[in-house]
Amino acid sequence: MTDFKESGFMYAVGVMVIAVVMGQSIFFLVKAYKRGIELGMSKSSLKETMVSSALFTVAPALAIVATILALSGSLGLVLPWIRLSVIGNISQETAAASAALDTVGGSISQEVTDPNQFTLITWVMTLGSILPLIILPLFLKKMQKGINKAVKKSTKDNSKLVDSLAAAAFIGLISAFIARAIDGKGTAGNNPYYGKTFGDGAGIMSVTTLVVAVAVMLILSKIAEKHHIKWLETFAMPISMFAAMGVAILMAQVLPADIAYLEWRG
Amino acid sequence: MSEDKKLTAENAAAENISDEKEAAMDKIANESQSAYINKMHLYGRIWTLLALAAIMAVPVLFCIHLNTWPKASNVFKALASVAPLFYITAIIETTAYTPLLGTGGMYLSFVTGNISNLKLPCALSAMEAAHVKSTSDEGEVITTISIAVSSIVTTAILALFVLAFRPVLPYFTKEDSFFAPAFKQVLPALFGALGAQYFTKHWKISLLPILALVIFLIFSPGTGSGTLIPIGVVLSIVWCLVLYKLKWL
Repeated sequence: MTDFKESGFMYAVGVMVIAVVMGQSIFFLVKAYKRGIELGMSKSSLKETMVSSALFTVAPALAIVATILALSGSLGLVLPWIRLSVIGNISQETAAASAALDTVGGSISQEVTDPNQFTLITWVMTLGSILPLIILPLFLKKMQKGINKAVKKSTKDNSKLVDSLAAAAFIGLISAFIARAIDGKGTAGNNPYYGKTFGDGAGIMSVTTLVVAVAVMLILSKIAEKHHIKWLETFAMPISMFAAMGVAILMAQVLPADIAYLEWRG
Repeated sequence: MSEDKKLTAENAAAENISDEKEAAMDKIANESQSAYINKMHLYGRIWTLLALAAIMAVPVLFCIHLNTWPKASNVFKALASVAPLFYITAIIETTAYTPLLGTGGMYLSFVTGNISNLKLPCALSAMEAAHVKSTSDEGEVITTISIAVSSIVTTAILALFVLAFRPVLPYFTKEDSFFAPAFKQVLPALFGALGAQYFTKHWKISLLPILALVIFLIFSPGTGSGTLIPIGVVLSIVWCLVLYKLKWL
């Protein structure tokens, strides 16, 4: 039986969404290019902008591909593909999916096999992310006027507070997942090798993965900063994520099962 | 234009004809730019609503195709725990990026997403390379071109890789596959990597929410992320404000 998450219909829906995004991008590109010529900008400088933007995009786009693959274990390829092609960003989509599964006692560290749970996740991801698309058509014009005035008035002090508050909100979100990796109770898995006890609760595996991810990320960003390696800055996140996942595989292969899969909270 | 300005313009003209010519050309340029911006707002609104319709169609089509609808109560329960954070973020982001991304760029980047990690740095570096400011007429052109190209390339790369990866996916995700333990640990791997930089940069803010949630889980280990997220977010925002008031930030 083919997986319902990967059926031809699902891909067709994905293609429809992609077509709209592509259409809008090409339309705006043409409009802006013509306007540039009207303003007397040189064709070569406009082309330069296009080429450099395309090159700039390749690395971060590959990093996004990596996050799609990471989510595909549980959600299949199509849903993460659609969500990360429009509006989405990885932390928000993952949090939305986790919160959705939480209401029905599921977990994102297992494959979602119930179509009903899958639609629940899709709804939560979608409704959670569309607000900007309502704000912009209604308010962008007014906001531009107001903000241009406000920017001139803002002091250095309160812009630092705004930055810190934005970081704090994100830190709060991350803390929830960090804490669960340290001492949260999991939902039991159904691994044919290790039986019902091998779930996704906090244990040796989750803490090691967490520590490796943090450590690799810190080391890589230090190296990138010190030696001014631009590409490493972009890829530090996916490399750290895959390194940590790699360590999980290594532990499963090397350590005795009762140590590798030890979960202190069940 | 007010009478006074007209008068001064006429005076200037009396003194120097080329000055008047310049002023007139400036006026024409300003008018053509605001006409362009107005048109971009119109196109932006139309395309954003189109995109919104396509995005909203996804869950509807999935439900019809799979012939199953989730309980509304579950959808709202999940949204209640994450949406407040997402919606506040949306308001902050739309406000913060408005002066940076230009009109066309704003409409485009909020449809295609991945702004802070891709569209914004891409547009900023394009403006730097072209020596233009985001508030200038040329800046508007450069940001739109840069974000449009970036969106096209991103969308194409994602589509290519997804199609290429499709045939091999089942080997990776089967329960007994070699890779299964890795997929079980996606969350700690992802949020460890994402969090690392925040923790070092804002360690004073980070300490309390992590510690508090770990202690919370000691007493209530089964609490899911849906409950923990809002607790964590409110805690760390309040803590951030306290640190600011105490001038420890």
